[in-house]
Amino acid sequence: MAQPLVKKDDDRDDEEYSPFLGIEKGAVLQEARVFNDPQLDARRCSQVITKLLYLLNQGETFTKIEATEVFFSVTKLFQSRDIGLRRMVYLMIKELSPSADEVIIVTSSLMKDMNSRTDMYRANAIRVLCRITDGTLLTQIERYLKQAIVDKNPVVASAALVSGIHLLQTNPEIVKRWSNEVQEAVQSRAALVQFHALALLHQIRQNDRLAVSKLVTSLTKGTVRSPLAQCLLIRYTSQVIRESGVNTQTGDRPFYDYLEGCLRHKAEMVIFEAARAITVLSGVTTRELTPAITVLQLFLSSSKPVLRFAAVRTLNKVAMTHPMAVTNCNIDMESLISDQNRSIATLAITTLLKTGNESSVDRLMKQITNFMSDIADEFKIVVVDAIRSLCLKFPLKYRSLMNFLSNILREEGGFEYKKAIVDSIVILIRDIPDAKESGLLHLCEFIEDCEFTYLSTQILHFLGNEGPKTSDPSKYIRYIYNRVILENATVRASAVSTLAKFGAMIDSLKPRIFILLRRCLFDNDDEVRDRATLYLNTLGGDGSVVETDKDVKEFLFGSLDIPLTNMETSLKNYIQNPSEEPFDINSVPKEVKSQPLVEKKAPGKKPTGLGAPPTGPTSTADTYERILSSIPEFTSFGKLFKSSAPVELTEAETEYAVNVVKHIFDRHVVFQYNCTNTIPEQLLENVFVIVDASEAEEFSEVGSKPLKSLPYDTPGQTFVAFEKPEGVPAVGKFSNMLRFTVKEVVDTSTGEAEDDGVEDEYQLEDFEVVAADYMVKVGVSNFRNAWESMGPDFERIDEYGLGPRESLAEAVSTVINLLGMQPCEGTEVVPSNSRSHSCLLSGLYIGNMKVLVRLSFGIDASKEVAMKLAVRSEDENVSDTIHDIVASG
Amino acid sequence: MLLAVLIANFEGNILVERFNGVPAEERLHWRSFLVKLGADNLKGVKNEELLVASHRSVYIVYTVLGDVSIFVVGKDEYDELALAEAIFVISSALKDVCGKPPTERLFLDKYGKICLCLDEIVWKGLLENTDKERIKRLVRLKPPTEF
Repeated sequence: MAQPLVKKDDDRDDEEYSPFLGIEKGAVLQEARVFNDPQLDARRCSQVITKLLYLLNQGETFTKIEATEVFFSVTKLFQSRDIGLRRMVYLMIKELSPSADEVIIVTSSLMKDMNSRTDMYRANAIRVLCRITDGTLLTQIERYLKQAIVDKNPVVASAALVSGIHLLQTNPEIVKRWSNEVQEAVQSRAALVQFHALALLHQIRQNDRLAVSKLVTSLTKGTVRSPLAQCLLIRYTSQVIRESGVNTQTGDRPFYDYLEGCLRHKAEMVIFEAARAITVLSGVTTRELTPAITVLQLFLSSSKPVLRFAAVRTLNKVAMTHPMAVTNCNIDMESLISDQNRSIATLAITTLLKTGNESSVDRLMKQITNFMSDIADEFKIVVVDAIRSLCLKFPLKYRSLMNFLSNILREEGGFEYKKAIVDSIVILIRDIPDAKESGLLHLCEFIEDCEFTYLSTQILHFLGNEGPKTSDPSKYIRYIYNRVILENATVRASAVSTLAKFGAMIDSLKPRIFILLRRCLFDNDDEVRDRATLYLNTLGGDGSVVETDKDVKEFLFGSLDIPLTNMETSLKNYIQNPSEEPFDINSVPKEVKSQPLVEKKAPGKKPTGLGAPPTGPTSTADTYERILSSIPEFTSFGKLFKSSAPVELTEAETEYAVNVVKHIFDRHVVFQYNCTNTIPEQLLENVFVIVDASEAEEFSEVGSKPLKSLPYDTPGQTFVAFEKPEGVPAVGKFSNMLRFTVKEVVDTSTGEAEDDGVEDEYQLEDFEVVAADYMVKVGVSNFRNAWESMGPDFERIDEYGLGPRESLAEAVSTVINLLGMQPCEGTEVVPSNSRSHSCLLSGLYIGNMKVLVRLSFGIDASKEVAMKLAVRSEDENVSDTIHDIVASG
Repeated sequence: MLLAVLIANFEGNILVERFNGVPAEERLHWRSFLVKLGADNLKGVKNEELLVASHRSVYIVYTVLGDVSIFVVGKDEYDELALAEAIFVISSALKDVCGKPPTERLFLDKYGKICLCLDEIVWKGLLENTDKERIKRLVRLKPPTEF
């Protein structure tokens, strides 16, 4: 909120004092009574309105009564013929946004102004009326608005057009009737009228592809009078291109020449819009891309920060899909690393990290080190994320990148930043086995001086899982035990658990771990002591070197298979009803109650390090496993091999939102239907899905689990299980019908529903189980080593003709998606001009069989693509199956 | 959508604040974010030299004019270039109304006129007028000269 403008410097004259000094709402409202004077003082009234505007612009609000009172007084000012005052009145009414029942007071005055012979009254009255009007009034004034759209005065026409853009949101059916007039306005000689008309016309017709295409065709040949309109036209052209595709005979892309011509426009805004449109063309070729990249490169050295920003932002996006195309700009971008504007510098760095090759990594890291010290945390996080991706792309460079991460981890920084670094290190440890030992040591050093309890406990947890599997686990003990001595109770408790994990996994360390755990028995915190006691007992704290029991390991490393909310409720009940009996954890229900789903996270968001390592307690896979294991019917299916990403079975914004997750087991598949009821007035009960598997012959239904109740906006799940032949990647199509009993909700605040319901059903979309569902994406850090060590015993090589394809990149991504494997070493990116490409894939096939694939593609002048597929795996049948998938795909 | 136009003095006090399509509970956050952005970066910047930033999917273009700093915030089609156009119109109109890059006092003296200009330039998040001569006439309810 603004402070009163009091200045203390007495030397300055009356310029010191604000005309609004000491302004106070109550007093101004009193002053507003001058609006009611029979003899209006226009100047005084304008001053009071200015004060009211000042208050509103400071974020001050008026109560309903105050606003109504001011509004009624303001309407009296229509009597004045003072032009300046009238202009203020228009603005004031818009700012007050009167309610529907008050509007009636001004409509007649405004309608009068709307038909006034003074053009400017007309324009302003239109704007005010459209701001405060509702549907009924709009039909009354529609005729005038249509006239106004084609008014000779551009201000009147623009006012009506911009009003149309706003009204389209609330009264689309009315505004759509104006399209003839709007069409006429598009041809206007007034630049702004054309701009506004084009925007409105496109919004009216945006769902009519043919009409948009015609509009674009005629305007790209005609005259567009303002850069703003030109930008709109480029956007619409880009949309038309997206929908029409390349001319397969000539290879030409419609409207490309127009876009390229716009690169030479005199307005920078237009040049950028055209360059951006070209860079996002699907399957854009190097020939098409080059002119756009060239103009963007020129802007990188512009003196205006906005242009530099726009250029580097666009190139940053291009680098994600066509890194090779941007490499020419690397030198210009390197000079931007020292740009005063941190947004520009960060974008330049992250672009360079994407376009750089393996040999430039070290030089780049040196430059970034200097830069990191003087940017804010939010930018640093972006850089850390980019470095993580770079490291996954060039795993052999993990040393220098890991060192960089550990160095910045030691420097000052807030929680989010530190968490981003730790997450990155964890991901690198997970994906690059060679990086494990050094990564763990970096994390150990970090917790020696870590001010964030959350991070310390997460790292200790991770260390407990990964540390015992290293070559020399004993070196971590010192760091862990230091936590017991130096930290707060939460961290100490965590450290005790970690020590226990080392003890459980490494028998030779056990006696020494016991000594440390026994020391913890004297801790002054209950939790720490309790944990130490518990672990000493479960591990057999008598000091003998015995192998740890399987159950104990399960207890230490396994996740709690009870939903925490259920546990909480049970414990609360137990405390409220005291009893002699000790609390029995088996009494806690395992059934998952309509919990918010993990997959509701932002789409495309990568799992972050500690939040979701494969063994971590909060990963999606883990959640699924927990949900499934809580259902007795499914416990006999064995270990869950893979869960697919959710497949939507309903369109957005329908009554019931349903998606399905395919869970793959050795001999079974389970479909988990996640359902959300979006109607507040309905309660659904006994919800289940009828699945028709007639197009999935190898599958037979073996069980299902309905959902008892599905209240409004609380997601719930129902399941259907199928049996399938073991080891066969059975595929097929499934049709689905949602069945349920609908009950009307009597009281939406409590969710109370009527007793009687009606049975109903709702058709869902079909979905398929495909070969890729049997493959888990698992990367390897060094493909060549992995390939050599796998050996040629079960290698299968064959060649395939893929027929004419849109581009090489499209062919590569189709095969990757077909197999569902993890591309390695960045080989999924196809340089845009290449005629051949090699792609390396790795994965884990059902039955936990490692599979490696080498793909070599070639494309000829007629866009025919040929592919050589070499597979190595641990089993010859698996190698054959991969070929079968490709052959039948 | 042009999400916000905000004009502040050098101490960070808000002089004009107009939001479009920004929920009331987020406005305070935006206000303090912009003021801090200005405090961090606008020192020593020349009149009308444009600075740019992005925050989440939103763009911000800001500058200094006399004693006031001007911020415009936009998203989607109102990217940094469209915002640069908008801020150019706003600063030209301000100079026009005040006769020079305004002191704070001058700005407040002409407050009513400035509100009218902003009303002509941005209407509920859409850029409406871009020519300062025309705006100058419109706030006095005079038709544009080219008409």
